[in-house]
Amino acid sequence: MSAMAAALHRRPRSLPPLEDEDLLSEILLRLPPQPSSLPRASAVCKRWRRLVSDRGFLRRYRRHHRRSPPLLGFFRNDLRGISYTPTMEAPDRIPAGRFSLHLYDSRARILSCRHGLLLVARSSRTKFLVWNPVTRDQHRLVAPPAFDTYAAQVDGAVLRAAGDAHHFQVVLVSYQQKQVIACIYSSETGVWSDLMPTSVQRTAVGCQGMPAVLIGDSLYLLLSDGGITVILEVDLNRQSLALIQVPLCMLAYGHYRDFVTVMRAEGGGLGLLCKKGFTAKLWKRNAGCDGVASWVLGRTIRLDKLLSLNLEIKIQRIAYAEENNVAFLRTVSGIFMVQLESLQFSKLPENNNCAICYPLESVYAAETSIGGGHGGADQDMLV
Amino acid sequence: MATREAGKKMIMLKSPDGMEFEVEEAVAMESQTIRKMIEDDCADTAILIPNINSKILSRVIEYCNKHVPTTGATGAAASDTVAPAALAEDLKIWDAEFIKVNRATRFDLIQAASYLNIKGLLDLTSQTTIDTISDNSLEEIRSFLSTKNDYLPEEEQTIRRENQWAFQ
Repeated sequence: MSAMAAALHRRPRSLPPLEDEDLLSEILLRLPPQPSSLPRASAVCKRWRRLVSDRGFLRRYRRHHRRSPPLLGFFRNDLRGISYTPTMEAPDRIPAGRFSLHLYDSRARILSCRHGLLLVARSSRTKFLVWNPVTRDQHRLVAPPAFDTYAAQVDGAVLRAAGDAHHFQVVLVSYQQKQVIACIYSSETGVWSDLMPTSVQRTAVGCQGMPAVLIGDSLYLLLSDGGITVILEVDLNRQSLALIQVPLCMLAYGHYRDFVTVMRAEGGGLGLLCKKGFTAKLWKRNAGCDGVASWVLGRTIRLDKLLSLNLEIKIQRIAYAEENNVAFLRTVSGIFMVQLESLQFSKLPENNNCAICYPLESVYAAETSIGGGHGGADQDMLV
Repeated sequence: MATREAGKKMIMLKSPDGMEFEVEEAVAMESQTIRKMIEDDCADTAILIPNINSKILSRVIEYCNKHVPTTGATGAAASDTVAPAALAEDLKIWDAEFIKVNRATRFDLIQAASYLNIKGLLDLTSQTTIDTISDNSLEEIRSFLSTKNDYLPEEEQTIRRENQWAFQ
């Protein structure tokens, strides 16, 4: 045992934090994940611009904020193809022109938008496209024959594994006679998994236009089995399918129920939002101590009171933003975005006549060339 | 000198201005820099921390003391008995009080947190700095942080034009 005091060898930095570039980067990393943060920081001075344009910094910035990506706007299929509508206020309102896709394929349709990527089904049978709306990178995929969009109804989802900015996965689900089949593509390996089938009792039909919701390591989709709503769970780790019954009393609602949607419950588990008339009921799937899971009714929301709607107004669900836990509800007077925990809501000024939309939740971090010195075009990244 | 109190190993931290702080080893090891030193057997009883004065070092130790995962007499983590959410809420309130310091002290704490590699403290100090400027105009940010605008007017215009939407 030494009686002498050991000393830390590395000398502390002697520059003040704002002049020490490592420390300044550390501070700037905490700029809020709003789209205007980095462009505005760039304009403070040359040093700030150099730091926030650095690729390593941008990677760390996206990673730092990956659990709180802002809800930037939404995509939708319309007559012109795929269009984008920003939902944030200035100065975070990225113009729609930044995210435009011209596919020259009028029957192409969006299946999913997640982690800054869009999954698009082309009109030609088993062809799919993964598109990064900011970098404009496109990745074309040909699915196994079971996912021929002419022969069967096909749903899909795109996602990135946690913290993986390079690779993505595509999950396709096809509704066949008496069974549902799913398959997972990994961009890392470039191959599709084995087909995962699960049998249904009657005939499975997907709930058209209701994108899958990612909760933990599973995707959840609603489907109708001979008229009865069931939840399909695609376990991405185990690569297996399971069917989960919805609450019994929800079935009793029958056709009087307006809509039901999968959502992230308080605490992060599987939840359901079931709307009938002006009342929305939130359910939560609780894992029992004996391993038997059950549904528990959570809060009830009176939408007409919350949104100050009059009784003639019809409310339709058009999207669910899973990372921000925001439901998009359409009424004749506009689209409401309701945060399902705080119940804070905002109304979009325009009344978009869309049936379904695909929220873009992402940290927008543009990689700008420094003073044109790289000679290349600006490259933006969404993760 | 190392002493043992109630079975806890203690370590002496010395500041360059001659102050000595006896702390539990677990508290000192909140600093990854110190942890590495101890784990590599480079320090056993006392460590000299150069360039962090006693005033800042005592604040850093105060922070580590509060944030070290506490264990009860039986060795069970305290979080077994206190709800984790309540514990986190308590820490948040404590942090908010702790960081009510002037700018110079906060910057000293940033340097110390970076040097000693204490992630939580670096998060707290850096985030607080950002929070104080987030809602300000560019001119206010520059003046608040004493940062000089070294752009020519036309250069600044070009940068604003690249992402005009962000300046509306």
